[in-house]
Amino acid sequence: MSETPQVTSALASSLDTTTVGGGADAVSPPAAVAGRPPRARASRRERLEITLLSGPAIVVFVAFVILPVIAAFYYGFYRWKGYGPPSDFIGLHNYRVILTDPEFHRAVLHNVEIAGLSLLIQGPLAILLALLLNREMRGRSIIRVLVFVPWVVSEVIAGTGLSLMLPVNGAINALLTNLHVFGHVEVQWLGPHLGLWTLMAILTWKYLGFAVILLMAGLQNIPEELYEAASIDGASYWQMQRNITLPLLGPTIRIWAFLSIIGALQLFDLPWIVWGEFNLDRDGVSTMATYMAHYGPRTGLYGYGNAVAVVLFVISLIVALLYQRFVLRRDISGSVTDGGRR
Amino acid sequence: MSFNPTRARRSAFAVAAAGLLLTTAACGSSNDASGSSGDANAKVTMTLWTNSTTGPGVQFFKDAATAFHTQHPNVTIKVQSVQNEDYDGKLQTALQAGKGSAPDIMFQRGGGKMLAMVQAGQLGELTLSGDASSNISTGAQSIFQADGKTYGVPLSITPEGIWYSTDLFKKAGLTGTPTTIADLTSDAAKLQAAGTPLAVGGKDGWPAAHWYYMFAVRDCSQDALNKAASSAQFADPCFLQAGKDLGTFVATKPFEKDAFNTAAQGSAASTAGLLANHKVAGELMGAWEPGVVGDLTPDKKPLADLGYFPFPSTVDGKGDATAMMEGADGYSCSAWAPQQCNEFLNFLATADQESKYATAFSAIPANKAAQGSVTDAASKAALEAANNAKYSVLFLDTLFGSNIGNALNTAVVNFMSGQSSDPQSIVDAVNNASTKG
Repeated sequence: MSETPQVTSALASSLDTTTVGGGADAVSPPAAVAGRPPRARASRRERLEITLLSGPAIVVFVAFVILPVIAAFYYGFYRWKGYGPPSDFIGLHNYRVILTDPEFHRAVLHNVEIAGLSLLIQGPLAILLALLLNREMRGRSIIRVLVFVPWVVSEVIAGTGLSLMLPVNGAINALLTNLHVFGHVEVQWLGPHLGLWTLMAILTWKYLGFAVILLMAGLQNIPEELYEAASIDGASYWQMQRNITLPLLGPTIRIWAFLSIIGALQLFDLPWIVWGEFNLDRDGVSTMATYMAHYGPRTGLYGYGNAVAVVLFVISLIVALLYQRFVLRRDISGSVTDGGRR
Repeated sequence: MSFNPTRARRSAFAVAAAGLLLTTAACGSSNDASGSSGDANAKVTMTLWTNSTTGPGVQFFKDAATAFHTQHPNVTIKVQSVQNEDYDGKLQTALQAGKGSAPDIMFQRGGGKMLAMVQAGQLGELTLSGDASSNISTGAQSIFQADGKTYGVPLSITPEGIWYSTDLFKKAGLTGTPTTIADLTSDAAKLQAAGTPLAVGGKDGWPAAHWYYMFAVRDCSQDALNKAASSAQFADPCFLQAGKDLGTFVATKPFEKDAFNTAAQGSAASTAGLLANHKVAGELMGAWEPGVVGDLTPDKKPLADLGYFPFPSTVDGKGDATAMMEGADGYSCSAWAPQQCNEFLNFLATADQESKYATAFSAIPANKAAQGSVTDAASKAALEAANNAKYSVLFLDTLFGSNIGNALNTAVVNFMSGQSSDPQSIVDAVNNASTKG
């Protein structure tokens, strides 16, 4: 799908700049030590290094992100079934249809619900688990494995398994029935009432491991001395977590939230496989990406599908830029705003 | 909205001319001209794409390629099998890339999708041999025609009907098979009470939509169906009536539990798997059903008690009670294929090759001279129903092309699963389908 790359795009651009800045900084000192006119030599080497280091990334980025986005814009202006070159130019018609289609509105709403609920459910859980797993305790490796394995399993495999377990006749209801506690269980896990919550449970199970990994990495970066100082001052464990760990974990949490929001906006594979193309809208788990696949390639309307991809891209881009501007600004200020200019 | 509706209508008209319906059970014209001209002795290699991935299916094409090579030593055919669900996408990309990438010989379903390939200049026109054109029904031929020209050769036909377990019908106390919807409704209630209901693979969309198609075939006159196909509009009131009749039938809860989270094929939990394991009594399907069910029985052998009956008639239906809905599996040549491609397809259409094909795929061959190779009772019954049909209609989603077909299937699923309660929503979905570009 053409929508996946832009997660990388925002990150890649910030990472690119970071690399370039670091490279330039590293080069300057020897030039000064050599005692020659530093400017000319340094800048030639600098330029060469910038080209060599960032060149491949830029080529890949342009070929697989920028060009497809431009192509999607182009095809979105046509009525085109994907056979032969597009010839029936219809201007903004596709965009008008998309933006007035109640089914698309519902898909956007589901995306927003999924993004919000993901943050609310996975965030606190992930922080608690990361704190827990950061301590020496019995059975720690087992819990780690249990949390991380779902994240490693491919979405298609997990989705296929769940799609066999969750229907009314499936294994989950059979298991609950066999517990002989609830009587004969016939819960419609996938139905319109529970659909969204079932999806949230699946997503939490699937992606919690990723959040925990990020947060545990963040915990490693908090200097031990701070805790020592705090404990000398008589702080309790919870006081330390609240006043040291959480604030210093801030940048990691904000990056995780960013990835989680973008992932939720582009969610496709799990609902598509578990619910099936025709059930998504009814059961309240359609997303912009499933809408795009259903009315794009599956319906043979490639022009329309491309227009939906553009809308999805623009929405994701706006969210990403706003988030960078208002939330991530502090965390990345050193690398983006004046990197490489010194 | 600013788009121009005549264009959609024009292409729909071409579909009508092409794939549409309606053969009067018939014999074809003997149009004898085998297409061979130019240098027939130059060395030629052709690629063939099939959607079959199973042992016997792929083997059939390899054997056919070898047999053809023996007759024409200068022609070599390379068989490549592409997973069915990937097939359309891969083919479309390869055809877009044109010469060099496109397969010379390709699996083809006909209808609206084939028309799009024809309009893009990606398919080569074919000339059927005298044997093929006289032995393949004009109905099956018409599925692969556009604007009066032939672009594909049918190898098998897939008449639609209800495939059922005769044992489970007996167990539920049913003696005969239903001929009216009223009978079907009361039979379905008995089957449901016996714990083995009828099934529908609603998760995949099209199996549910087939119920609407069949109600439309029974409720609408041949003329109304023709007009719908040529205008891409459900203008006749019979299309609403078909929705109402479907709604009345579905309201009696004839299907298995959680039908819209059940897939049609591929696993023991699918409807074909449930039928193969005697968990449900039957389902509405095309004639690929015996093969699909046979793969899912515990011993991987054909289901011994599989039966077939045609879709029952509705009260006051304007359609003929014998009218058949069917599809066909065929093969096309790309626009860049060498002339020997046409010859090879005519070779595949011979009675000898088609009966081998029918055995390999458990299918009903399109060539009448090969239809003696159909041996299982259910397929025989389906073939008989197809041969007795006054006229036949292509599966509506194939006929309309994926654009309108997908909108129709989505609307039928929403209606049958209770998301929308108004049968008018099905008619509206078709009439508004062309707003999306």
